[in-house]
Amino acid sequence: MNPFRVALAVARKDLLSEWRTREMVPALAQFIVLALLIGNFGFQINSRNAPSIAPGILWLALVFAGLYAFGRTFAAEKEQASLEAMLMTPASPLAIFAGKALAASALLVVCEAVLLPALSLFFGTPFSGDVVFAVLLATVGMAALGCTFSAIVARVRARELLLPLLTLPLWIPFIVAGGQAVQSAMGLPGSYDQAIGLLIDFDILFVVLTSLAARFVLDE
Amino acid sequence: MRVTRYEGAAAGAVALMVLAFGAIFFHAPTDWLQGPVQRIFYLHVSSAIAAYGCFAAVLLGGLVFLRNESYAADRWARAGALVGVIFTTVTLVMGSLWAKKVWGQFWVWDARLTSTLVLWIIYSGYLLVRRLAEPGRQAARIGALVGIFGFVDVPVVHFSVTWWVTQHPGPVVVNDALPPEMLATFLFTMLCTIVLAAVLVVIRYRIETLRDAKQVLVEPAKVVSAHQPEPVR
Repeated sequence: MNPFRVALAVARKDLLSEWRTREMVPALAQFIVLALLIGNFGFQINSRNAPSIAPGILWLALVFAGLYAFGRTFAAEKEQASLEAMLMTPASPLAIFAGKALAASALLVVCEAVLLPALSLFFGTPFSGDVVFAVLLATVGMAALGCTFSAIVARVRARELLLPLLTLPLWIPFIVAGGQAVQSAMGLPGSYDQAIGLLIDFDILFVVLTSLAARFVLDE
Repeated sequence: MRVTRYEGAAAGAVALMVLAFGAIFFHAPTDWLQGPVQRIFYLHVSSAIAAYGCFAAVLLGGLVFLRNESYAADRWARAGALVGVIFTTVTLVMGSLWAKKVWGQFWVWDARLTSTLVLWIIYSGYLLVRRLAEPGRQAARIGALVGIFGFVDVPVVHFSVTWWVTQHPGPVVVNDALPPEMLATFLFTMLCTIVLAAVLVVIRYRIETLRDAKQVLVEPAKVVSAHQPEPVR
């Protein structure tokens, strides 16, 4: 079986299921708008301090939206015991894992498509290709790690509690580098290129590591 | 009263630490710039190195468990994680006290401090996972994966002072920045701290072994199912 076709089929299945129920994306989009609203009242934002506060709100909203999106990836399969059925097919666990990660990242990208213009609209920060590129690069590594830990904790009780505890510390490199890139793209001091280089390094590291671990993560 | 080898080893490790404190306070000279507070350095850095060693045990234990399902390797990993978290706590607390004196505040968000805090959070999360996951194969597999991913932060902590501009000072030992008495005191303290960490890991390993054995007696069905061979696919 061609692993790429398996991955695409799994991703298509997850996205189709989301399209039919339309549960997660509207909920996440609403969550993001609420996060911006809370940010506005928590910080007293004006046109002068917006570029220094908006990146923080962006990453907070993205991180918590991501936790929810990736947490659901395997929890839903667990509830219906459909992951076991998929693993009994000749498809490789890595291809299945890649498909699930692809679908979850696609959902997060849809959320980012709401978040980034909304941030610009509400706080007046620049909405540039540099910001989009940095956020998309961070999404790759965050998706790889988020899906890994989502699969790991799917079988544990209190998984809602554990997923953030395990995932957030390992997401910090992406928030550090992504934060620097977005700040620099919004006109604050800091090297954009250096931050993007770091993001690419972390992406490669964690995508390779999660690919190696996928067999153990899914194998029950 | 007969002294067990664990009690003997613990007493030996404590005696070594007393000697190390003697060296720190009586052999090492007082730093001319920072004064006596610089003596925190010896235990602060030694604890960090001992913690790296403990987390390496978690990594190796996890890899061996994933390879051949050795529950002994998993127990070494569990023991390493707990002792590693304790030594990371010592590093953070002593570092904060030192920072208050020389930087004027307990905490600054530089790369070394932040990555060390993240390390502490990762392995505290590891301990929490071990408590929440079903004991046996599931907990061991999850623990192994968390331990392997978590270890990524160890080189980040170690090289953070080289990769980024930090308020935390860079390496002093490898750069020959210490006078001979300070270097000797540091190396001796580091040796004693590593021995203490190793003894604590061995004692914890023993406790984990007894705990696993007790679990077999109390919950035979669960443990038997955890040791069942994998079904042939």
